[in-house]
Amino acid sequence: MNDANENRRENNKLTKTVVIVGGGIAGWLTAGRLAAKHKSNTADGLKVILVESPNIPAVGVGEGTWPTMRSTLIALGISETDFIRECDASFKQGAKFAKWVDGSEKDFYYHPLVLPQGFGKGDLAAHWLAKQANQDAQSFSAEVCFQEAVCEHGLAPKTIRTAEFADVANYAYHLDSGKFAVFLQKHCTENLGITHVLDDVVAVNSVNNGDIASVTTKSNGDIAGELFVDCSGFSSLLLGKHYQVPFKSCSDILFIDTALAVQVPYENEHSSIASHTISTGQEAGWIWDIGLQHRRGVGYVYSSQHSSEEQARKVLAEYVGDSFDSLTVRKIPIVSGHREKLWQNNCVAIGLSAGFLEPLEASALVMVELAAQMVSEQLPQSRDVMDIVAKRFNEIALYRWEKIIDFLKLHYILSKRNDNKFWSDNRDPKSIPQSLQDLMQLWQYRSPMDIDFTSNNEVFPAASYQYVLYGMGFESDYSHSPYALDDTDFAERQFAQNKKMIDKAVSTLPTNRELLNKVNEFGFNRI
Amino acid sequence: MANLVAVDNKNHLKIKIDPNKRELHGKGLHLIPVVLSEFSNLAIQYPIVLTKDAETGQFVFAAMLGFEAGENLFWQEEQWQGLYLPLQIRRQPFFVGNPDSSTQQRANEGDYIVCIDSDSSAITSKDGVALFDEKGLDTEYFQDVKSCLAALLKGETDNKICIEHLQDMDLLQSMSLEVTFVNQQSTRLNGLYTVDQEKMAKLTDEQILILHKAGVLPAIYTLSTSLGQIHALIDLKNKRLV
Repeated sequence: MNDANENRRENNKLTKTVVIVGGGIAGWLTAGRLAAKHKSNTADGLKVILVESPNIPAVGVGEGTWPTMRSTLIALGISETDFIRECDASFKQGAKFAKWVDGSEKDFYYHPLVLPQGFGKGDLAAHWLAKQANQDAQSFSAEVCFQEAVCEHGLAPKTIRTAEFADVANYAYHLDSGKFAVFLQKHCTENLGITHVLDDVVAVNSVNNGDIASVTTKSNGDIAGELFVDCSGFSSLLLGKHYQVPFKSCSDILFIDTALAVQVPYENEHSSIASHTISTGQEAGWIWDIGLQHRRGVGYVYSSQHSSEEQARKVLAEYVGDSFDSLTVRKIPIVSGHREKLWQNNCVAIGLSAGFLEPLEASALVMVELAAQMVSEQLPQSRDVMDIVAKRFNEIALYRWEKIIDFLKLHYILSKRNDNKFWSDNRDPKSIPQSLQDLMQLWQYRSPMDIDFTSNNEVFPAASYQYVLYGMGFESDYSHSPYALDDTDFAERQFAQNKKMIDKAVSTLPTNRELLNKVNEFGFNRI
Repeated sequence: MANLVAVDNKNHLKIKIDPNKRELHGKGLHLIPVVLSEFSNLAIQYPIVLTKDAETGQFVFAAMLGFEAGENLFWQEEQWQGLYLPLQIRRQPFFVGNPDSSTQQRANEGDYIVCIDSDSSAITSKDGVALFDEKGLDTEYFQDVKSCLAALLKGETDNKICIEHLQDMDLLQSMSLEVTFVNQQSTRLNGLYTVDQEKMAKLTDEQILILHKAGVLPAIYTLSTSLGQIHALIDLKNKRLV
C-alpha cells in the first residue's frame, strides 16, 4: 500500500476506541466522563480502555475541589452520599485567607463561593468602598456575602433535608484524593463499562502522519485506539516524552516550588470541621489547612529561593503545634507551569501531564474536570475533524492556564508583608504578567466587572477578583464617577438583605460535623 | 419533654383521660405523621403528603392540616373538627415504651409496654374515661388505645417498605404549589412531596407486580387521590380569613 492510500485511510478513521494512559483521578474522571456520555456500557457505545501501571503510586494532589465537582459527579451517575462516605469528603465553602495582607492576627478575608449580594444588578463594590471610607463597614466579604458568617460559625452549606447535590449556600468538597481515585475506579469499571488494564506501557507506536496507533504493554501486547489521553502524571509519557511538547514554566511569576505536607488527626470525634479551606500566609509562602471527616490535611508551600527546608519545617511545626513531632512529613516538589500545547495529533494530556500550578485556589482538579468535559463533549467523531477540535482545545486550555496564573498572582501582589523578600519579590512588576497589570490599571477607577471576562471559558468570575482585591485592602477610586453611587436604595437593600440572610442561615444550618455525621447515618435523598 | 411512666393497674387504677383534652396535642400541628393503614380514613378529609424528617432528612408520610407551621385548620372552638382523628392524636397521651429500659415488666421477647405521659393535661381524676374497671381489667377505651399504639408500631414497618419502593422506582416528586387565598395573600408550599403520576403510569408489569405483592398499591393510589383535599383545606383557610 502506498503512503497516499494509507494517509487517506487514516484520515477517515472513526473514533471507536479511546485509550487512557494513567489511572489517577485525572485518568478515571476522563474515562468516566467519556464512558458516561458515549454509553460505553452498551454494544454501540465508545470503547474506553484505561491502562494503569501497577507500579506507579498516584501523586495524590488536590484535596480541594470547586463546586464544578458536583456536576461532574452527577454526570458520572454517582450518589453524593456514597461519595461523601467513601472519600472521607466534607463540604467546602470557599477559602479564608489569613495573614496575607500584613501578617497580623486580625488580618483575614474570605473568598466565598456565593456571589456578592445583587451581583450583576448593580455595583455594590462601589457602595461598599464609600461605606468603608466613612468607617461604617465591616470587611467586603462580610458585608456583601452571607457565606462568610456561615463559615465563621462552622456551619454546613445545607441540611440533611436538602436533596443530594442541591444547596442552601454554594459549596465544593474537601476529599481524600487516594480514596477518591479508588472510588472512581470502582464506579467506572462496575457501572460505566470501562476496560481496566493493569500493566506498564513500554512503547508508543506511530503511523506515518505521526499519530499514535497503539501503546505496547509489558504483558497485554499492543493496545490500539483512535484517541489517546495522557493522564500519566508528571512523567507526561505521551505528550512530553513521546511528542516532546515543551514545558512552559511560570516560576518567574509564581515562586512556590516545594510543599511539606502532613496529615493531622483531630483532637477528638467532636472537634469542629472547618467548612472552608484555611490558607495562612507565612514568611516564604502559605499553609493550607483542609478539614476532612477523619483528619486534617495541612501543608506549607514555599519558595526554596526564599526559605531553607529546615526553616520551612519550623514554620509548619509552629502552625501544627505539639502533635507535629509524631507526624510524617512528605516533601513534594512543585514545578509550576504547563505544556505549550495540550493536544498534539491524536493525543491529549489531562492532569499533571498537562501542567500544574501551586495549590492556591484549588485549580488542579477543576482543570481536569473542564478538560475531561471538553474532550467528552467535543469528541471528534472521525480523524478528519480531530485537528479542528485539537486547535480549539489548545486555545481554550492555554487561555485558562493564563487566567489562573493571573488570578493566583493577584493574591501576592496586593500583600503589604515585608518580613521576607518572598513578598517584595512577588510585588516586583517584572514578575507580574502584562494581562494582570492591565486589569489592575482598569480597576484603579472601578471594580472588576463581568465585561472584563468575556470568554465563554472563564475560570474565575469577576466576583472572585472583587473578593480578593477588596479583601486585601485595594481601593478603586470612584471620585471621577460619583454617579456610580447614586442608587443608594439599591445598596441599602442589598446590605440589609445580606444581614437577613446571615440571620436565617445561622439559625437554621447545622454544623459541618453534624451534617457529615447525618450523611453517614441517614444519607441524602435524591430529591 | 414528656415524662413517660409505664402504665399498670395498681398505680393507674383510678386515673381517667379527658378525650377532648388529648386532642390538644394536635392543636398547633400543620403536618401530622400518619401510617398506611389509616390512609383510606384520612383521605376523606386530609391531603396525605410526604415530607422530610428534620432530624434525619428521611421521608415520612404526613396528613396536611394547615399551610404554615403552627396552623391546624381542623382545630376550631377548642376542638378537633375533623371526621377522622389520626392515630397519632387518638393514642395521646400514651406511648410505646422501650422494653429494654424496664426489663422486669417484659414478659416475652418483642413485647412492648404502654407508657403514659404523666405531665399530660388530659389526665384527670374526675370527668373522663377510665383505663381499668374495678377488677383491674382494661376498659374498652384502654383497649382502643393499645390497638392504636399497635397500629402505629406496625405502621412504622409498612411506611418504611412503601417509601423504599417509591424511592427505588424513582416515583417521588417535589410538590411545587403556590396557593393564593381570598385576601390575595399567597403561600408557596415547600418541602412537600408526592407520587409522580406520570412515572407511575409508565411502570413496567414487573414493577407493578412488586408493588402489588408488597401490598402498597392501594396506599399509593389513596395518597394520590387525597391531594384533591388541598382544595378543601384552602376552603377552610378562606373561611377563616373572611
